[in-house]
Amino acid sequence: MPGGNIDRKLVLHVAKLASLSLSEAEVDRFAGELARIVGYVEQLEQVNTRDVPPTAHVQLARLPLRPDEVRPCLAREEALAAAPQVDADGFAVPTFVE
Amino acid sequence: MDASVVEIATGVQRGELTAEQATSRALAQIARHNAELGAFLHVAREEALEQARAVDAKRARGEALGPMAGVPVAIKDAICTRGVVSTAGSKVLKGYVPPYDATVIERLRAADAVVVGKTNMDEFAMGSSNENSAFGPAKNPWDVARTPGGSSGGSAAAVAARMAPCALGSDTGGSIRQPASHTGTVGIKPTYGRVSRYGLIAFASSLDQIGPLATDVRGAARLLSVIAGHDPRDSTSLTAAVEPLDSACERAVAGLRVGVPEEYFAEGLDADVAASVRAAIDGLKDAGCAVKPVKLPHTRFAVATYYVLATAEASSNLARFDGVRYGLRVDPKHELRAMYGATRDAGFGAEVKRRILLGTFVLSAGYYDAYYAKAQRVRTLIRRDFDEAFRSVDVICSPASPTPAFRLGEKSGDPLAMYLSDIYTLPASLGGVPAMTVPCAPTKTGLPVGLQIVARPLDEATMLAVAAAWEARSPARDLVPPLAAS
Repeated sequence: MPGGNIDRKLVLHVAKLASLSLSEAEVDRFAGELARIVGYVEQLEQVNTRDVPPTAHVQLARLPLRPDEVRPCLAREEALAAAPQVDADGFAVPTFVE
Repeated sequence: MDASVVEIATGVQRGELTAEQATSRALAQIARHNAELGAFLHVAREEALEQARAVDAKRARGEALGPMAGVPVAIKDAICTRGVVSTAGSKVLKGYVPPYDATVIERLRAADAVVVGKTNMDEFAMGSSNENSAFGPAKNPWDVARTPGGSSGGSAAAVAARMAPCALGSDTGGSIRQPASHTGTVGIKPTYGRVSRYGLIAFASSLDQIGPLATDVRGAARLLSVIAGHDPRDSTSLTAAVEPLDSACERAVAGLRVGVPEEYFAEGLDADVAASVRAAIDGLKDAGCAVKPVKLPHTRFAVATYYVLATAEASSNLARFDGVRYGLRVDPKHELRAMYGATRDAGFGAEVKRRILLGTFVLSAGYYDAYYAKAQRVRTLIRRDFDEAFRSVDVICSPASPTPAFRLGEKSGDPLAMYLSDIYTLPASLGGVPAMTVPCAPTKTGLPVGLQIVARPLDEATMLAVAAAWEARSPARDLVPPLAAS
């Protein structure tokens, strides 16, 4: 299995996928810790799972769909109340298109 | 504040006690001990008194009161409470005030309960000791040098110290059962889907369940009966009817078959814990249960399976904390990608980052099949272990945790050692089956020990009957930490 070799480069790649800006010290620390955890997880290789279907959820039965009805929702002011920055009745973010 | 949930509710319904008196007693106990225990992150003093007076006014008008009449309830901070700060123990949500109530909170209010405050927890419920809270750890009322367990450690400490007779927690891999075990309280993880997750700040959606902690089995049963049941706002909420749980606690247990999995009495189990749990199982035999061995052979793979699946789901759920709609924003360069990265680096603690990285890794191109898909298949085998065992027994009894409460700092430097301490609670989470802990005899040094009882899906009633039968015989019955009794 390829994952045992977790190093700084892989941590930086994964951190980028996860939108986490890590400090240099964090990259070193997590590389060591994750290598150990992933090394432990690799014991799953020992289990024979041929012809075993995956479990994504444990639901006992097919769940009913909710009726498609118009219902009240949060007022705009309530939805915006906890936003770090609001502009023109919306969530304000830094410019991301020229 | 020694009265139980049922005693308070009955007293308030009959007018022998007011909701305001019950609430004031809880608030006084919180004021006395919270600085030392760190059980509550936020005490909703004024809101609680106002709610209590509203319950008393309702009675004065001659209206019937609900099953939680005037009962003070502590709420884990991962559960959204309208108008009351909800942080999930994270700096990224510091000061966040939700604009809505979780379904469980709506149901508590409708049952005339009183919300007294929000309890401490490991950040986003990721931890087994409460040491991952961004706001400092909660302490164990039995020994303040020890952790109350986690992640619902604040809820467990609050109930153990009689700051409230009951609390809500959430359990993803043992986060109700393990702290209940370590604090001498009763804790229930219901069947997955039994209790609505609407308004629970998500960690791992295929595993998260809200459940009760209480000073006794009947209190936990009463609280569960109020919060359980179908909710159209949670698409994983089950439609199955909820049996009357109060009367389940009175059911006879003679003839029930109790399974004991030897895989749970293996290497790493503390000798005092093993002796206490074996004595509890003998007690059930004395109560007329038939005790027999069962096999759960995939137990030893539960930690690896869980830490792949839970972190994968967490990495996806926690993507929402990006500094846009709520919570912290750090925006050093006025540039979007940099804002996401800086906000998340500043807002999340080390354990949350570690799990996001692990979860992102196991889902990433080139690794998905080897880790995530593999763990999903092993999860199926763990579920089948339970299906097979429940062909020949009605409940399964085991320790809830391999050791009693550990010291603050004892495991916090070693993430893998901390994960391994979850071994006995993880299988029931992965299987989606109901499980609970009830106190059994303390260790020689006086630390609480919990008996774990696991039942078939949706069979909380049988689980509660067995729990109540053991509680009636347990030497831990009515034990209160000296700190709280004073």
